[in-house]
Amino acid sequence: MSTASTTPARSRDRSLLGTIIHQPYIWAVVALVLLLVINLVKDPGYLGVAVNPTTGNLSGNLIDLLRASAPVMMIAVGMTLVIATRGIDLSVGSVMAVSGAVSMEFMSNAGDGSVGTALAAAGLALAISAGLGAINGVLVSIVGLQPFITTLITMLAGRGLAKVITAGQNTSATNEPFRWIANGTVLGFPVVFVIAGVIVAIVAVFIRRSALGLMIESIGINPKAARMAGIRPIGILISVYVVSGILAGVAGIFSVASVMTVEVSKTGLAAEMDAILAVVIGGTSLAGGKFSLTGSVIGALLIATLDKTIVFLSIPSEATPAFKAAVIVVICLLQSQRVRALFARRRAKAAPTDPGAGSPRPTAPRKESVPA
Amino acid sequence: MFTTAQVRRIAAVAVAGAMAISLAACSGGSGSGSTDSAGSGSGDGELTTVGFVAVGPEGGWRTANEQNIQDSFSKENGFDLKYAPATNGDQNSQITAFTSFIDEGVDAIILSATEATGWDSVLKRAQEAEIPVVLLDRGIEPNDPSLYTSHIAPDNVGISASAAEWANAQFPSGAKYVVLEGPPGLSVVNDRNKGWDSTIDANFTKLESQSANWSTEDAKSVFETILKANNNDVQLVFAQNDEMGLGAALAVEEAGLKPGTDVKIITIDGTKAALEALAAGRLSFVAEYNPLFGDTAIGVVKDALDGKTVESDIVVPSVTFDSPAAATEALPTRKY
Repeated sequence: MSTASTTPARSRDRSLLGTIIHQPYIWAVVALVLLLVINLVKDPGYLGVAVNPTTGNLSGNLIDLLRASAPVMMIAVGMTLVIATRGIDLSVGSVMAVSGAVSMEFMSNAGDGSVGTALAAAGLALAISAGLGAINGVLVSIVGLQPFITTLITMLAGRGLAKVITAGQNTSATNEPFRWIANGTVLGFPVVFVIAGVIVAIVAVFIRRSALGLMIESIGINPKAARMAGIRPIGILISVYVVSGILAGVAGIFSVASVMTVEVSKTGLAAEMDAILAVVIGGTSLAGGKFSLTGSVIGALLIATLDKTIVFLSIPSEATPAFKAAVIVVICLLQSQRVRALFARRRAKAAPTDPGAGSPRPTAPRKESVPA
Repeated sequence: MFTTAQVRRIAAVAVAGAMAISLAACSGGSGSGSTDSAGSGSGDGELTTVGFVAVGPEGGWRTANEQNIQDSFSKENGFDLKYAPATNGDQNSQITAFTSFIDEGVDAIILSATEATGWDSVLKRAQEAEIPVVLLDRGIEPNDPSLYTSHIAPDNVGISASAAEWANAQFPSGAKYVVLEGPPGLSVVNDRNKGWDSTIDANFTKLESQSANWSTEDAKSVFETILKANNNDVQLVFAQNDEMGLGAALAVEEAGLKPGTDVKIITIDGTKAALEALAAGRLSFVAEYNPLFGDTAIGVVKDALDGKTVESDIVVPSVTFDSPAAATEALPTRKY
């Protein structure tokens, strides 16, 4: 897709708005704003954030939104890197369940509600998630299996593993520090969102400040050429899947910490779909290559907003999947190069007053406004 | 290309069909054969083979129910139970397990369906093979009692009606309430809605009815948004299972309200976790949906194999818990 990562030097004299408008995720931003406006129309106080008199925390729909978007954001960032290498990671939802199952089972057996137990549980969960990611990475890079098949296997095996870990039960545990991860606040902001933001920032700096991002993209664009250029794909592929596994583990911890129960058949169910959607909405092509972490983060925010809006607008539960699908299809259509070219062509034809605009080639009009 | 592919597909279907029919015929013979032996020679220690098409891990209720069935149909009781849980609640995997039980020629099949619809053709095949089918918990739609031997389940309509009666008594002047339901389309969800809607007084206002997929996490997320959308002006939640009720209680606490006082929460199922929450005052009313009916199922399967007439609809009695005291009393002996 178009440029998302490297901003050309010329853009300095363009306004910030101009830069943003030419990002592939602009329609996700528009849709996000639109959803918030729709919520505002239903309730003018929607965006209000106030201090809850009983709990002393900031509370409001925006806070709920940030909290709900954190797990999606985690898996979406991992998924972005995997997709950039022309892969896909279908196992993220199951890894979430495994990570949740491991941490809950550990804490319910450890019994005490100390910080140490919480940290140990989280550490163990992340280690096992990383292990599952490593299995994916090894099978894809060294054995050379299709990423789709490989991660499909881990997806099925992972949920089975989660059920084995808790013996098919929905294990609950009591641990205040662990619960704080999902329900607490730092300076009024939800802890989950702060952690998610920090992790995204670390990944972004690591990927974009080093050559790693370029290597990932080059593998996705042309693996053969990348190898010829001296990039070793095995190490990079394994680390990309490991990162995706760890981030899914973090998402799993977020997800179970919010209710302090792991629901083995429901935690992280269909989460891979949300992650892939967030990535696609964010403007990263499933064909691999160029990727946009910012886009995926916005995509994750959009998915969470969409889920919350459905409830806020009281859309009947029978219609929710259709509503979600409709919104996503519209965004994907708006992003599609071909559809945009079609609109541009029609506009060029409909404007005969300006014959100097040249031939109505799809690439000619570079303006990003929509007629719709 | 297209036509050859089509011809090939038709041929494949025809061959598969022929195989299925011949297999069904075989199993029919062997099925009735072993039925005789089970009927006459149960004292000889020969085991009756029963296929259990189950749902698998889903929640506390399901675990208790399936464990109870597996414990009841034990070798000591003269049964060889083959347990086939669905893969992630997928109906297709259940249909596959069901047909392979027919092909194997088991003596009887017990079925806990994940979805109500789509069972007609396989049930007809079981009928042709003369294998009695006992439905547990979830029924089938359209409900045709000629397709199965018996349906054993607690009465969903009656249970949710009793919950609504309690709500009517608690709020004589009405209240604003929210329903947290399971995935749309399930017969349980329809029945629990039916019992509630037909019994709840007209002065109650239904603010919303949203699906939270039987899940604590979803219920918490859904209910926190509903509370915000209604400025916390919700007095009653009818959660169609325990897990969702517990999620709603978490959302209520998060909003700085007190579950049980500011928002009363009704749940159905009666698992241990829910009774503990009721004893602690976080839930207000728990209606049991009794999962322990393995003994009833054994009786039905034995009667059906002996050729006795069996009642086609058997209701499992369930109780309700309306106070922390009642929950505390029931907790020590709670099996699930």
